Amino acid sequence: MNYKVAVIGDLSTTTGMALAGVPYTYVHKKRDETLAKLKEFFGDKQIGLILLTYRIAEELEPDFSQFMRSKSMIPVVLKIPDKTGYAPKVDELSEMIRRTVGTEIAVKEGTG
Amino acid sequence: MATALTISPTRMELIKLKRRVSLAQRGHDLLREKMDALVMEFFDVLKKVQGSRTRALERLFRAYRVLSECFATMGTIETVESARETKRELQLEISSRHVMGITVPVIEDPKVERNALARGYSLYTTSSLLDETSKEFEQALKLLVKHAELEASAFAIGKELEKTKRRVNALEYILIPKLQETIKFISMRLDEMERENFTRLKRIKAILEERR
Repeated sequence: MNYKVAVIGDLSTTTGMALAGVPYTYVHKKRDETLAKLKEFFGDKQIGLILLTYRIAEELEPDFSQFMRSKSMIPVVLKIPDKTGYAPKVDELSEMIRRTVGTEIAVKEGTG
Repeated sequence: MATALTISPTRMELIKLKRRVSLAQRGHDLLREKMDALVMEFFDVLKKVQGSRTRALERLFRAYRVLSECFATMGTIETVESARETKRELQLEISSRHVMGITVPVIEDPKVERNALARGYSLYTTSSLLDETSKEFEQALKLLVKHAELEASAFAIGKELEKTKRRVNALEYILIPKLQETIKFISMRLDEMERENFTRLKRIKAILEERR
């Protein structure tokens, strides 16, 4: 199946991604409007990947987590840092590892 | 200490309980095996995620830096205008793969990279920095898309792993001890009843003997 990509972010993120050929971009202004747009992207069957910045994802909580829980495999959502390099201190994935494995583990990069 | 279930201490219940324990034990063993397999799969994906994440983000930050330069030399408005003129037809081929009954996405390598002519903005009025920016972002996006696949798989497997782990623990630490406690209670009770009966019979025998 062929899918399209969507980006929600600030002006520099969306401009850059538009230059790279991403079909749907949305510049975040107000929380409610972005939330509505996100809902629209989730509902769109053509969109297979949504990129959004950490900062916006945080602003959209707790509704964002709810979306993530209720969605199926597609669309895939990936959070990216914005121009300032902002990313939360506690990484979601390492938090999950801590919960499931019980300890912090350092995974070395392998070729496998 | 697990408390016993409230159940009438009969032989029938004892048989039923024994059956339940063996079923729970079998379920527990199966889930445990599933969990081990999931952990292996999880670590496999994690190994890849870490590297792809650093590579993708490095590329993205480089792209942001070039974009800032472009904003500075060409002007923000002009850059945004050109971005609007760009051809935006990126398509992704997404299919799915099954890992231990979990569906994880597989994203084919997208054809993001284009040459300057294919991008669609006017080459005459724009700076070469814009070409540079586009190229950087195309490369960053390519890595990000690949990373998205890995991260989504990691999350899906991790979620399933959490669920399985909870089930294994519930069986191991709550249900099975509870059932075993109840079995112990019933068998003790039955033994007790047997002893009572034995002494009763002895006593009756003694009384009958006296009468004779």
